[in-house]
Amino acid sequence: MAALVLCASAGCLPALAQSVAGPVTYQLDPNHTFVTFEVLHFGTSTLRGRIGPVNGEVTIDRAAKTGDLRLRIPVTTVSTGSRLLDARLKEPDLLATTDYPEAYFVATKFQFDDAGGVREVRGEFTFRGAGEPLSLVARSFACRQDAVLKRQVCGGDFEGAVKRSRFGATMGLPFVGDDVHLVVQVEAIAP
Amino acid sequence: MFKTSLLALVAALGVTAAHAESATYAIDPSHTFATFEIGHFGTSTNRGRFNKTSGTVTLDKAAKTGALDVTVDTTSLDTGTAAFTKHISSEEILNVAANPTAKLVSTKFVFSGDKVVEIDGNLTLNGKTNPVVLKAQNFNCYQNPMVKREVCGGDFDATIVRSQYGVSYGLNYGFPDNVHLVIQVEAVKQ
Repeated sequence: MAALVLCASAGCLPALAQSVAGPVTYQLDPNHTFVTFEVLHFGTSTLRGRIGPVNGEVTIDRAAKTGDLRLRIPVTTVSTGSRLLDARLKEPDLLATTDYPEAYFVATKFQFDDAGGVREVRGEFTFRGAGEPLSLVARSFACRQDAVLKRQVCGGDFEGAVKRSRFGATMGLPFVGDDVHLVVQVEAIAP
Repeated sequence: MFKTSLLALVAALGVTAAHAESATYAIDPSHTFATFEIGHFGTSTNRGRFNKTSGTVTLDKAAKTGALDVTVDTTSLDTGTAAFTKHISSEEILNVAANPTAKLVSTKFVFSGDKVVEIDGNLTLNGKTNPVVLKAQNFNCYQNPMVKREVCGGDFDATIVRSQYGVSYGLNYGFPDNVHLVIQVEAVKQ
């Protein structure tokens, strides 16, 4: 594991420039792929929960400017730091983890910036068995040649928002907010 | 029914809130968490949360003053990845065996109107103390229907330079020196 977080700085230079012809499929790095949700509690403070590690893969074709992202989000792993709250969140009126142990995000609409970095991914988020459109916007995105893995690693920080009531997760409304902010850390390793 | 009665309660509170004076609030550990954010090779952001925080806050809304004394249990670190948590907790980084607590003691509360917008204080981490300025992203007080008391809290953040606390691991590998602290806090009136 120590090896995973080590990387000689010279080996970690942005590797966006090395364009590879055709689609490349990256496997998500579970050590660096988590979804955090944020929701306002009584209009006062932000309650956060972490879900993950998230498994999945992403295929990017920089030349064609297309991509395909498939995330399987294990909502059973929800962690707020409070065991009581975690247990409450798993109940049928919130995360409903017994009936729906996973959420999914499948995105096939990718926007790239001029340097070939991913700027936005759009697709369908399925939670509690209900699907809604979701856009995740990149706050940061970069690729590097990882000196330890000896592979290209791409990833970044993405953000999006959903209304939980649209998925039937209504407990605590309106005192606990309907707007759920999603903060996604993702890193993915090239073959 | 629940909604209607709570709204009535909130309205009633608004009427009585004029009698503010110094009051003591105990940190609610189920709604108080410190999370750190640190860049990972310019790619994504690694996060870690401390699960156990305790302490007290005093607020005088009329005088617009306050004080805070909070202790974070550094052994309660939780990153979501056992190996990462273990490495950060180790002697090489936070050395939580030698320094099982971090402490934030305020020196000044800054108000804008009736809201706290900034808390200045001293942060002790890894056995070293430096001044820190916490900016409020949210601040509010409300009557909590479960505990039937006033609760005040908010979201605060600050950026610290970890080498100033003697936490210099990986600086030469390109891990950033700046660490963003994101703090949720709620405290219950005593």
